[in-house]
Amino acid sequence: MRLKTVLWAAITFAVLAYLIAPIAVLIYSAFDDGKFFRFPPRELSLRWFREALASPEYRSAVLNSTILATIASVLSVAFGLMAALGLTRGPLRSRPIVEILLLAPLTLPLVVWAIALMQIYARLGLSGSVGGLILAHTIITLPLSVRILMATLSNIDPNLEDAARSLGARPLRAFARTTLPLAMPGVLTSAAFCFLISFNDVVVTTFIAGASWMTFPVRMYSQLRGQGVDPITLAIGAMIVALILVIVALGEARFKWSRRL
Amino acid sequence: MSIWSQPTGSLIVDPTPTIKNYARIAGDGYYIRGLLRTLWLSLATTALAALLALPLSWWIVRRAGRFRGLILTLVLIPMVCGALLPTLGLMNLLGPLGVINGTLKSLGLIDRSWKLLGNQTGILIGLVHAFLPLMVLPLVSALDRLPRDVEGAAMSLGAKRLQVWRRIILPLSAPGLIAGSALVFCAALTSFVTPLLLGQGKVATFATMAYQQASLVLDWPFASALAMVMLAILALIGTAAWGAQKWAAET
Amino acid sequence: MNATSRLTLTTALTGFVLAASAASAQDFSGQTLVVGTWGGDIERLLKEHAAAPLEAATGAKVEFLLGGSGDRMAKIYAERQNPTMDVTFQNIYEAPQLLADDLVVAPDPELDMYKNVWEGMNDGCYAMSLVGLGIAYSKDLVSEPPEWADMWNPDYKGMIAMAPYPSSEGDGLLGVAARLEGADEHDADVAFAKVAELGEPALTYTSLDEVFALMEAGEVAMAPMISGYVLAGLKEFPGIGFSFPSDPGPVLIRDMVCQVKDSPNPELAQMFIEYALSAETQKAYAEEIYFGPTNSTVELSESAAADTINSPEEVDSLLALDWPWLIEQRADWTERWNKDIMGQ
Repeated sequence: MRLKTVLWAAITFAVLAYLIAPIAVLIYSAFDDGKFFRFPPRELSLRWFREALASPEYRSAVLNSTILATIASVLSVAFGLMAALGLTRGPLRSRPIVEILLLAPLTLPLVVWAIALMQIYARLGLSGSVGGLILAHTIITLPLSVRILMATLSNIDPNLEDAARSLGARPLRAFARTTLPLAMPGVLTSAAFCFLISFNDVVVTTFIAGASWMTFPVRMYSQLRGQGVDPITLAIGAMIVALILVIVALGEARFKWSRRL
Repeated sequence: MSIWSQPTGSLIVDPTPTIKNYARIAGDGYYIRGLLRTLWLSLATTALAALLALPLSWWIVRRAGRFRGLILTLVLIPMVCGALLPTLGLMNLLGPLGVINGTLKSLGLIDRSWKLLGNQTGILIGLVHAFLPLMVLPLVSALDRLPRDVEGAAMSLGAKRLQVWRRIILPLSAPGLIAGSALVFCAALTSFVTPLLLGQGKVATFATMAYQQASLVLDWPFASALAMVMLAILALIGTAAWGAQKWAAET
Repeated sequence: MNATSRLTLTTALTGFVLAASAASAQDFSGQTLVVGTWGGDIERLLKEHAAAPLEAATGAKVEFLLGGSGDRMAKIYAERQNPTMDVTFQNIYEAPQLLADDLVVAPDPELDMYKNVWEGMNDGCYAMSLVGLGIAYSKDLVSEPPEWADMWNPDYKGMIAMAPYPSSEGDGLLGVAARLEGADEHDADVAFAKVAELGEPALTYTSLDEVFALMEAGEVAMAPMISGYVLAGLKEFPGIGFSFPSDPGPVLIRDMVCQVKDSPNPELAQMFIEYALSAETQKAYAEEIYFGPTNSTVELSESAAADTINSPEEVDSLLALDWPWLIEQRADWTERWNKDIMGQ
């Protein structure tokens, strides 16, 4: 028994190490003093962290990305929840077909999406508008949130909601009190994925976004091809990772978040 | 759009229907080979991700305790920085002078560097790394639904540990596993940065070919045709699998 | 008229013209000019030397749309009914295509900014900077600055890094390879056969960091690369050199600045291009990122002059390829490159 526990832990930590090692490389390289991405770093310094904080371009780019990803992921999860409810509670017959149709967009590379959207937008005069950009991000994340939420909802017994309703609760209230709390892990998972995909999208945003909505990854990639990786982006990446870990650790310590998931 | 074309010397699309693009794909093994290679890479990625995610998710659900939130976040971290930065980190680790080859050599396990970049091995390592979170999170939420004492109950009835997994845990976590597999498969199928960087331009995949055509050659009709062919291949496989399942159920 | 009075007159005239443009410029406040360009140092230099003075003179706002030049091409084609970009920076092989498809305003030979550029360079759009395709090499593995032919030395087989194709680097290498065999780029069979002799490339790089790291590690001996950023970057890598070969000379590659046809702000766009082509902006390009000036009136410091293409003799030594013809081959050559050279 003892040995088995150790073995489990060993496998787990090996997988975790595999996931985290490349990120650790980046974070460590962010402390290099030079203008180029090098590992291991030659001379340690905080130069790029200082420059990242001082750069108005990067500040606004990270802010743009955050706002965009927040709105897009909220919209995507809201629509996704409605679609998933309809699909899991609706007639069973058509379900596999609709499920496949919903997965089909996920099998197209984003560059194909980007070009299609760009042409549609150009025709509608939506090019460069914020609304168009939010719409595009909602569209590319929607199939993902629907898929995750369907998996979640199919595990939840709809009779619970019916029971609540038969006890006199209004439909919306019945849903909010029974199904929604049970679906919370799925909602949070899909929100996290949608946020990350939207925050990091380059391909679609490059083609759709206007000049006043430069996002962080677009700025990063636009420099990559000519000049190589801007060490500022490494520093920003390191700060984002650190920030998330701190928030999670604090949340855990104060509110025991994970118990509620 | 896949049935349009561009006249010689111009990039403006001519919307006269033509099968030119499909003929070019069909007449030449190059593109089909690339698409099939991508399918194989995506399937392998999905299988490997499932293999790694099952023990990890189980451990998170049952043993992580108060570190659960932290570990779930660590699992998500590769996705936090987008595709590019982790891939660059991975390139450094996998390179001929990277940490992995260095460690193996200093331990005397190998004499010459393993070639982990510029081939399918490297891409596979990168794809699993990039998309493992997509498998772990749905699995965790599925395993969470299992009653805590399911193992104990089954084992008290005389089931062996492996049997518990095969008969109880895997079937009950199936929705999560299926959802995760679908996500990982699709993500790997359309992944662009990972095969580009870790394949060092030597391994053509669906997304790198589509990108090259759409964004560098600017031949959008051809890129669309490529995507349509891929969809057709997937539909064919899907129908075949569905048919086989039905046939198996009937007999 | 003696020299002094001529000078006075010119100054007065210039002052008058400037005052006139400044006066008419008042109308532009509240308008936004959209300029598509690459991120990084180019964006910074354009912001300092072109956007800032234009904003000060006209009250308009300049915004930069960042991305790769291929992304901008795609955007211009998609939005050709109602463009949102006013000015765009493109590669040498894209500008003539844009003009051929009637999507950019043809350069005006009557304008001073046209005349200041080296003769014959305003191909499709205005020439913004001159860089050459040369060879970056590891000083450990290659003892002296290599010529093109040295890349075919069997010692270096499989140790050459290449840029993704299609690109100016790829077309440039094909052009050079054909010339080494006594032909030129029009003979595709010769060009591809010669490049294929290099063996499978060590890697196709997406960014400079990858090449530099592998050169320092001794895995890559040489790479055909474009001067400019590479030269600026090498100040941090003492073990890596850059050679402008002489037989044939470095391949001439230009960045072009284009005015998008029927764009929302044509007057502002033209003024922006004037600032971009001014001696001041061009000097900053050369001094800071080693992009050679196209404006023949620019005087450079000695160190920048050494690393850029800026004298008439240097400009003459460059190898010019038939870009309009190369563009037509793009789809076929991409397929050939993937198969013959990358061995896919």
